[in-house]
Amino acid sequence: MVTLGPVGETTPATAVTDQGHLRRRIAVPWMVLISLTSVVVVMTLWYVSTEFGWILPIFLPKPITVLQEAQRAFAGGLLLTDVWMSSQRVFLGFALAGVVAIPLGVAMAIWAPAKAILDPFVSLLRPLPSITWIPLTMLWLGIGESQKVAIVFMGSWIYILLYTYESPTRVDPLLIRAARNLGARDLDVMTEVILPGALPGIITGLKVTLAISWSCVLSAEMVAAQSGLGAMIWQAKDWGNLALVLVGMLCISITVLVADQAANLIERLLLPWERNRRH
Amino acid sequence: MPVILSADHVSKVFATGRGDPIVAIDDLSVDIEEGEFVCLLGASGCGKSTMLNMFAGFTQPTQGSVRLRGTPITSIEPRCGMVFQSYALFPWKTVRTNVEFGLKVRGMAKRERRERAQFFIDMVKLTGFEDHYPTELSGGMQQRVTLARLLATDPEVLLMDEPFAALDAMTRQVMQEELLRIHESSRKTTVFITHSIDEALILSSRIVVLSARPGRVKAILDNNLPSPRHVDVQLSPEYAELKKQIWDLVESEVRHHDDTQG
Repeated sequence: MVTLGPVGETTPATAVTDQGHLRRRIAVPWMVLISLTSVVVVMTLWYVSTEFGWILPIFLPKPITVLQEAQRAFAGGLLLTDVWMSSQRVFLGFALAGVVAIPLGVAMAIWAPAKAILDPFVSLLRPLPSITWIPLTMLWLGIGESQKVAIVFMGSWIYILLYTYESPTRVDPLLIRAARNLGARDLDVMTEVILPGALPGIITGLKVTLAISWSCVLSAEMVAAQSGLGAMIWQAKDWGNLALVLVGMLCISITVLVADQAANLIERLLLPWERNRRH
Repeated sequence: MPVILSADHVSKVFATGRGDPIVAIDDLSVDIEEGEFVCLLGASGCGKSTMLNMFAGFTQPTQGSVRLRGTPITSIEPRCGMVFQSYALFPWKTVRTNVEFGLKVRGMAKRERRERAQFFIDMVKLTGFEDHYPTELSGGMQQRVTLARLLATDPEVLLMDEPFAALDAMTRQVMQEELLRIHESSRKTTVFITHSIDEALILSSRIVVLSARPGRVKAILDNNLPSPRHVDVQLSPEYAELKKQIWDLVESEVRHHDDTQG
């Protein structure tokens, strides 16, 4: 089920009275019906405009062509291979970024010299889009897997670092005071209060960054790759197969949505105490 | 009874960004004896929280000294345990692990601290809620957890900073009785801050009335209402008499304070 709106925001199962809400709440079945209708309307517009030749197929293929193309791509197994290749690169680059950036972010938050050392580099590197690393990474790593992973890494680690750095500073100082009053020493305060208190913020950062990692891998694959969803779209464009381009785009959307849902699930497992705060 | 906690000519001055520094407490002296239940009573802004923070070692006096068993308190003092008005429970810990916290950082073995935590969870009547997170509990229940967490570490003094102020009137009354019961059995020295004359009369064995800013000791009254006490002590003539006496002391302070605010 594809829901609109910010990822992770779930609609309450029951309709709430509309007093005090800017946006009037509607019962869930109605919402679903309205969503379905809006999809059907857009699909019909697409169908009608291409079927009657108002839009030429070289600009927008017919829905049925896209469907057939999707079937073909699935049947050949190539589409799934591309999904798998891209996912692998994202996962490796993202995991590596997390392993490097989370400890650095914590260090920056609790030890001023670490912040002084890293600040200039963070300031310089942050504005760089990950694609600007493509020339250098190709020179250093060739055009193999490691180069794609490196692009994901370069595009992701700074965001994880910044979120991680911010999170411990948001831990309620009263909790630290209470912990010390109960006899906690520095190390206890760190492991029992600051880190768990910072965890929700760090995880939010990881979730935001995961979407960024995906856009990194796609741009890297568009420039130089033989496999992956980005490469697939780019090659389909070269062959003039616009239907396959659309299939690839849809595939990316679905894959990223699935990854988001997985991340939400992991978040709920890791932060059981946040469950009741959400609504 | 020997003196356990004392403030000796304590003054606390806060520097402000611009303008004159604020004198929160001016030359305040008080001796608290072992096993006593002392209420610091005063209008808002009289520096009573500041005084309590100095007893806990969160902040130091500008002049004078604060002592625990004769030794000056110069840093956070776990022997003076604090109950905060806003509970200060760790949201990522369950009732059980919150109560175990002070024992864990003291290096107590898991089984032992679990047993001890259970004892205090039972004492504050939260049996069955061990695995709940604080956000799943009502305000009164959360304050019980805070109390259990503190009692488990066996501090020598309980410092309570308007602990029931955020609770509704009925829950507050229940909590006051609970606290009386716990104090009756543990005999822990307690310093309790409140701006409610009723609360001070119900709970305390002695009431320190503070003047409005800067905080000074205006009067110290022994509260000889019968104990063990119950909330219906409020119906007795002695109670009414004491209340009147305190109100006469406080009234001018409140009005004066209100005038300067307005």
